[in-house]
Amino acid sequence: MKKYNISIDGMHCASCGANVERSLKKVQGVKNVSVSVLMKRGTVEGEDSVKADQIKEAVSKTGYKVTSIN
Amino acid sequence: MEEHKHNDLSDSENSEIKGWYRKLVSAWIFTIPLVIIMFFGRIFNIELLPERLMTPIILIIAFPVIFIFGWSTIKSGIRGLISFYFSMDSLIALGTIIAYLTGIASLFFKIQDYSGISAMIMAIFITGKYIEARARGKATSEIMKLLQLGAKKARVLRGKKEIEIPIRDLKIGDLMIIKPGEKIPTDGVVVKGESAVDESMVTGESMPVDKKKGSPVIGATINQDGILYVKATKIGSDTFLAHIIQLVESAQSEKIPIQKLADKITGIFVPIILILALLAGVNWFFFTHDISLSIGVAVAVLVIACPCSLGLAVPIVIMVSSGMGAKHGILIRKGEAIQTIKEIKYVVFDKTGTITKGKPEVSDIYSLVPEKDLLKIAASLEKLSEHPIALAIVKKAQLKEYKRVTGFKISRGRGLEGIIGKKKIVIGNATLMKERRIPLVKIANKIREFESNGKTTLVISENGKAIGTIAVADSIKEDSINAIGKLNAQDYNTVMITGDNELTAKEIAKQVGISEVIANVLPEDKAKKVEELQKTGMVAFVGDGINDAPALKQSNVSIAMGTGTDIAIEAGDIVLANGSLTGVVQAINLSKVTFRKIKQNLFWAFGYNIVAIPLAVAGVLHPVIAELAMAFSSISVVTNANLLRRKKI
Repeated sequence: MKKYNISIDGMHCASCGANVERSLKKVQGVKNVSVSVLMKRGTVEGEDSVKADQIKEAVSKTGYKVTSIN
Repeated sequence: MEEHKHNDLSDSENSEIKGWYRKLVSAWIFTIPLVIIMFFGRIFNIELLPERLMTPIILIIAFPVIFIFGWSTIKSGIRGLISFYFSMDSLIALGTIIAYLTGIASLFFKIQDYSGISAMIMAIFITGKYIEARARGKATSEIMKLLQLGAKKARVLRGKKEIEIPIRDLKIGDLMIIKPGEKIPTDGVVVKGESAVDESMVTGESMPVDKKKGSPVIGATINQDGILYVKATKIGSDTFLAHIIQLVESAQSEKIPIQKLADKITGIFVPIILILALLAGVNWFFFTHDISLSIGVAVAVLVIACPCSLGLAVPIVIMVSSGMGAKHGILIRKGEAIQTIKEIKYVVFDKTGTITKGKPEVSDIYSLVPEKDLLKIAASLEKLSEHPIALAIVKKAQLKEYKRVTGFKISRGRGLEGIIGKKKIVIGNATLMKERRIPLVKIANKIREFESNGKTTLVISENGKAIGTIAVADSIKEDSINAIGKLNAQDYNTVMITGDNELTAKEIAKQVGISEVIANVLPEDKAKKVEELQKTGMVAFVGDGINDAPALKQSNVSIAMGTGTDIAIEAGDIVLANGSLTGVVQAINLSKVTFRKIKQNLFWAFGYNIVAIPLAVAGVLHPVIAELAMAFSSISVVTNANLLRRKKI
């Protein structure tokens, strides 16, 4: 299991957060996703095969940007 | 690094508010004249513009409002529509664009011109966002303050020179110099100097704490009146403050059960509204054959729906509540605890370190051999253990030299054994003596006397004979009595659980006002006792988080004492940074008012959408009224959350 903490730019409403969560959950191997619109960040838990780039891509698909990931 | 990121967050918050403000001013500069030409004509029958020029002029004035000042919304909304990740913006974008297009269409067909309306919708939307962003800034302000609490610079001694360095260059072992009024850069130990330190920002404790050589200090607290020389012991993400921040941050993305439904609905809300708007429009056209009316209804449905109030209802309250808690040193880790706490029947306290200070001291010695010899034997054996009672005895004996011990053995929760010289020594409580068949006749009276005064006793035996007993007293924390009294008054069943014998335990319980005592419990059995209590009601367990972990896990709500400079992150649903029992009362009260606020917010958010959407579908709401209602509902949810701050905990 791997855990990523990400900061996301551009989310300003609750449905944005729901979208980001939905998109991240679709990434193969991702088990748990939690996004806080208020803190502009989220956590992604998943198998070791999950790559940071996949997470970035999933977020940008919804129209927002990952500003930091670790 | 950490710090840098946090500053960015509040900066982006500020720039967001500023951004909305600029858009708001520009949007209304165009929209107000628009309103004047649109409505004055109708109300006062004054024709400001010739009829045939009206539509083109409105189209020109409305254009920048929607497509320049509202561009970020339109862009993100359209992107959402294309990628199927619909958001709030998709609704507004669609609503305003459709309305604007009616204006263009009206140049060619006979159709009502909604383009002026679309500018008004956008202007109101922007205004609503601005007010919401400000209220949200207020809601997050305490957390932001916490994030920015850390010191930026440290003054350290390098060689013989005092130099100022950025905090990220600080290393463990650095000698920091902190002058009166300055922030202590990071966690450490005082090596020289005396002062009082204000720790209220991290522990909630309002009285300054005295520090002298050997005292631990917490980073980000403020030195009051003396110069302190402090050796840095923890830096970066290992510090007390970093742990607190981590706790508070992770609580923000915790979902609480009551939120699940709202979250689910938020996720599917926008597509449902899109379909609903389409159906409503088509339906109205089918029955009335009035395209203008149908478009008006569809636009009203699009702009009245408010996923924000639904999605923000819970997290915004958690945000305000976390901020309030952090100010008092109460860190709610698991949002679920907020919901569970109101069902609690029992509040179970661990004794040592929770009700008492956890720093026992030797109070009485009764010895059948010379007292010095008794202490020497006891201390030599206890030196090998790390139990608080062992530390007390070692401290009392003040030996320069210890006797050699072989065959050392610990019986958990009961005592110690070992061989000194050729003598077999057993030190421990009555249970252990019974197990080893050591008679206590000669000292039994003394033991009873000590224990009925609330002291813990241990027996020292040599080759199967008791040679004395040492009593250890652990004083009660100042606010334990007050806090437990308050819990009793709120009809909680307070229970104390301890490894101590019944007599000692009952005396301590009597002093603090606890009626139910579970004594003689081995550390590993505490969880079992909690489980037994759970058969008749939900249990909150209050412990110091180090040896109480299983019991904390077993309980329905676990409250861990994060005393001093160490904080047990994994230990509790709720962590009390200052280890005072007053925090238990405050945490319970805070959870209760927070949960009530959450329910209120969800009620309003659901209620608003349930009432407003059907009204819009029914065609009784003008699109502008619909947009006003929408803005109002999301502002009200955030403002209501801010009202939580008025509650005293």
